[in-house]
Amino acid sequence: MAIVELSHVAKRYGDVVAVRDFNLTTRDGEFVVLVGPSGCGKTTTMRMIAGLETVTEGEIRIGGKNVVGMIPRERDVAMVFQNYALFPHLNVFGNLSFGLRLRKFPKERVAETVRSAARTLEIEHLLERKPKELSGGERQRVALGRAIVREPKVFLMDEPLSNIDAKLRVDMRAEIIKLQRRLGVTTFYVTHDQVEALSMGDRIVVMSHGLVQQVGTPKELYNSPINRYVAGFIGSPSMNFLRAHINADGTVFSGDNVCLVLPEKHPALVTRNGIQEAWVGVRPEHLVIERNPDRGTRNVIRGTVEVVEPQGATTILQINIGQEKKIIAQINEQWGREPGEKLTLTVSSELIHVFDSKTDQTCI
Amino acid sequence: MDNLLWRSSKWASKLVAMLIACLALCWVAIPFLWAIGNSIKSRSAIFERGAIIPFLQFTPTLDAWKEVLNDPQAINCLFSSALVGVGTTAFVLLIGTPAAYSLARFEFRRVKSKDITLWFLSQRVMPPVVVLSPFYILLAEFGLIDTWIGLILLYSTFNLAFCVVIMRDIFRDVSKDVEEAARMEGASLWQVFWMIALPLSLDGLIVTAFIVFAFCWNEALFASAVTSQHAATMPAFILASRSTRGVDFNFAAVNTLLAIAPPVLMSFFVQRYLARGLSFGAVKG
Repeated sequence: MAIVELSHVAKRYGDVVAVRDFNLTTRDGEFVVLVGPSGCGKTTTMRMIAGLETVTEGEIRIGGKNVVGMIPRERDVAMVFQNYALFPHLNVFGNLSFGLRLRKFPKERVAETVRSAARTLEIEHLLERKPKELSGGERQRVALGRAIVREPKVFLMDEPLSNIDAKLRVDMRAEIIKLQRRLGVTTFYVTHDQVEALSMGDRIVVMSHGLVQQVGTPKELYNSPINRYVAGFIGSPSMNFLRAHINADGTVFSGDNVCLVLPEKHPALVTRNGIQEAWVGVRPEHLVIERNPDRGTRNVIRGTVEVVEPQGATTILQINIGQEKKIIAQINEQWGREPGEKLTLTVSSELIHVFDSKTDQTCI
Repeated sequence: MDNLLWRSSKWASKLVAMLIACLALCWVAIPFLWAIGNSIKSRSAIFERGAIIPFLQFTPTLDAWKEVLNDPQAINCLFSSALVGVGTTAFVLLIGTPAAYSLARFEFRRVKSKDITLWFLSQRVMPPVVVLSPFYILLAEFGLIDTWIGLILLYSTFNLAFCVVIMRDIFRDVSKDVEEAARMEGASLWQVFWMIALPLSLDGLIVTAFIVFAFCWNEALFASAVTSQHAATMPAFILASRSTRGVDFNFAAVNTLLAIAPPVLMSFFVQRYLARGLSFGAVKG
């Protein structure tokens, strides 16, 4: 249990910059998710906290102590690896007790601690087995067990669920969250899956190209993304972006079939910043089918359905809005839409995002 | 032979396969059978024509065996061979495996690990006879001629290279994640080597040990050159016995069988590792 502070942390391999100017201070017991596409520096950041990777610049503090230059043993952190990295020549008991034995714990205490951790994860009956005799889910539990057994200050988890099947993944997700809440250990969790990030993290760090794009709670990232990258990365299906022209009265045009209206307070901002060309973003799930065809031409998107993907409770529609532009809409209907059908969609003004066309930063 | 490929083959191709197998078997087995046959012949029976099948064509005798096993020199040579073989193997593994591990896992600042490995390999490629005289002079300088220590040091120089090159490859196959997991659990580099890398490379280690031992056991050139009485090994003894006694084929046969026996017996034991060990690097185990 400790506060982890990263200040101006950077990692370079020769000329290649893997991570630049990473700043973050966790709360005690916080669950922080690092998310981003592969190669964005999230795993490198985690490995720097672990002590498996040297730090080129900056400081990492765990519980107030600068750990840069310390070997993993001195940092008191535990890590769960993507491919579990269990010790193949030791049985489950040997795997769980490895760290305790290295720390020269008395034998009875080792056995007791291991049993209690095994009970928590419901792997008590597997203690005598070798890793190769376990299923993927069981191995995952053993890997978790090895991390919790010596009660470290910080947990590091590097895509721990990416190697197990989809159904089990959802169960394990919930279990990891429960476990983390109960133990109250500050946790860093790396994933490339934004759904996992949203569902697990107290706070999420979105990274891209070695840079932190935004740090925030799942709600903040979803509702107020700081730039177009975060807006597109968080949420599934991802946000629709349209190149648009903004008039001083807050009307947004993109082609002949899109006419949106920004909320009252926004036109002033637009005019003040002098923005006329911008990216407009609308999440697929915020698009609603307009049932009244005589609604007029303000705040509507017209188009033709091209592809229908039923999801069970909802349906995802790919809609052609002319000029070879397509948008995705997720509507709360089960079936009943056909390709070729003409539709009018609408979106509430508050749910429209606008991004600077040059910097990609959020304007409003 | 109960696989699909075999069952679906035509009888003619089966016949050819069988013939080739028989030929190969003869190739390997005949010298061995010859040695067994001759070792139980009397001196006179050796040069008799048609004395091939024991009991029918000649009366077998264990005289040669008795004489050799009662010869203190022969026993001493067997002991020397064993001691030098085991000593060299232990010494080479003790120094070679940590060296191989460092080359597999770390990059050195000035010289690349790859280049160091190549340098080790070059030691093996060089014809040994080239260094015979320098080694002889060195051993003489240090008073190590005809000593076990001298022979162990000499063999270690050759086998160290072999051990380093092979073990480096084997260590590189050990999962890095597993080693990192051990470091996260609090293991020092030395503990990672000792508790993770080494146990996970046990197969390769056994094969390497066996090959090093077999090399020492079979080596005749250097053994004849730098030993005479005290530290002479079995191959040196066999070479020497030819010159003093003329060609006593029955004694030679006994000596040969004695020399062959230990590696053969050991190979039965390491067989299950051998097949995998010799294909290291081919498929990730």
